[in-house]
Amino acid sequence: MNKIKEFFSKKGMKKAWGYVAGAVLLSVVQVITLASTGSPWGVSGPLMNWGAWTFRLFGGNVNNWHRFSSVGAQATLDAGFFSDPGTIRNLALIFGALLATLLASQFKIKKIKSKKQIIAAVLGGFMMGYGARLAAGCNIGALFSGIASLSLSGWVFALFLFFGAVAGSKILVKYFM
Amino acid sequence: MNEIIIDALGEACPVPLIKAQNAIKEMAVGDVLVLQVDHSCAMKNVPEWARKDGHNVEIEEVDDGEWEVIIEKA
Amino acid sequence: MSEPTKAPSSIKRASSRTRTRKPKKNQIPIGIAVAIVLFLIGIYLAFTNPRLSIFWFTGLAFGFILQKSRFCFTAAMRDPLLTGGTTLTRAVLIAFAITTVGFTVIKYMAYVNGSPIPGQGFIAPIGIATAVGAFVFGIGMVIAGGCASGTLMRVGEGFTMQMLSLLFFVIGSLVGAYDFGWWKLNFIQDAPRVFLPDVFGWVGAVVAQLALIALLYFLALKWEQKSKAA
Repeated sequence: MNKIKEFFSKKGMKKAWGYVAGAVLLSVVQVITLASTGSPWGVSGPLMNWGAWTFRLFGGNVNNWHRFSSVGAQATLDAGFFSDPGTIRNLALIFGALLATLLASQFKIKKIKSKKQIIAAVLGGFMMGYGARLAAGCNIGALFSGIASLSLSGWVFALFLFFGAVAGSKILVKYFM
Repeated sequence: MNEIIIDALGEACPVPLIKAQNAIKEMAVGDVLVLQVDHSCAMKNVPEWARKDGHNVEIEEVDDGEWEVIIEKA
Repeated sequence: MSEPTKAPSSIKRASSRTRTRKPKKNQIPIGIAVAIVLFLIGIYLAFTNPRLSIFWFTGLAFGFILQKSRFCFTAAMRDPLLTGGTTLTRAVLIAFAITTVGFTVIKYMAYVNGSPIPGQGFIAPIGIATAVGAFVFGIGMVIAGGCASGTLMRVGEGFTMQMLSLLFFVIGSLVGAYDFGWWKLNFIQDAPRVFLPDVFGWVGAVVAQLALIALLYFLALKWEQKSKAA
């Protein structure tokens, strides 16, 4: 009883959970996701749709792009932003993190401090977006969900992701510190 | 006994941790490093590394989502 | 709401820098209000589109857990080399092991019942595009300080840098989608998709994968001990 009280206290809310606790809980929600939606967790696919919608907003046409040529992809785009399940999940992910931060009284808008950070965010973000399209997913869809799905592609992704992280670390230390 | 202050506010992981590691290397036993961070994962991975390395560590939340990780080299 | 008086610090600080601290705000009331709104949105979705409400609530859970545990797939890949620490790497391996078992149970049950196996769309083709994509993604996530899920989580925490990174993630995705036709034609369409149970059988695939995870866990542990000693 005391433990529960402590958990919900101001101090308890500030406390970070352990990595293993995080791993177990994420796994449970991941398994629930497959069981309830018939598909594992993915993050980067909907982000591509965000791009397509924005492009359409500016008068662009993606319908003849190979990636969006399937009936399913067209239907998702035509249904719109708030009808795309993956988009809803991504928005919820942001709000879930916001909620956790607020309950810990740790929310603050953290401003960009240097030009280096701008370059890092622009370059890093772009590389991730492009890379995720080639590899059919990110650390969630291609790695976490891939491996959990007993797909060999998850392990191949992991191997080259690691090489990329090694190269990225070298670049980070050399140019962005 | 020196005290070194490193401002790593606004720096994303792993920059604060690398800065702390580099600073500790140059410090003498008993010196104190004050690392200012606001990246929530840095207030976890920096103390974790420092404790494993055997230093004395204290974390102080100085503002909403802003911390000072105080490390005494041992 | 006064903070309990702290035990005297064990660390002797050379300069007694008792900078006057700004009084911290208690954000819990806002947090509770936000929680209620998020919950009500979920309830609204449950009545209008039940499927979306599942995505909403699991998304909230993913975000909350990621933030609370500071879980980060990027750090799991980067820290072994950069800092020598493998705590997160090992936590990720634990997640792989649990979900391997959980997913296989679901998939095997569908297989036995003769219904289509769910989630097989995530068995991606393996080829040059996978390697290049993963490598580029790996560089990007280290530089940007977070992968896709980590970036979203940090947007929720209020990081302007990750908001910018998210914007360019979207732009990069769009350019990637534009080029996808070329990649598909040259590298993806003939690339094989390998579902491990097709190769090793159901039991064999799970055993082989869990053995690989265990081996990596052991190596990660040894790596941390080695880099600590150095």
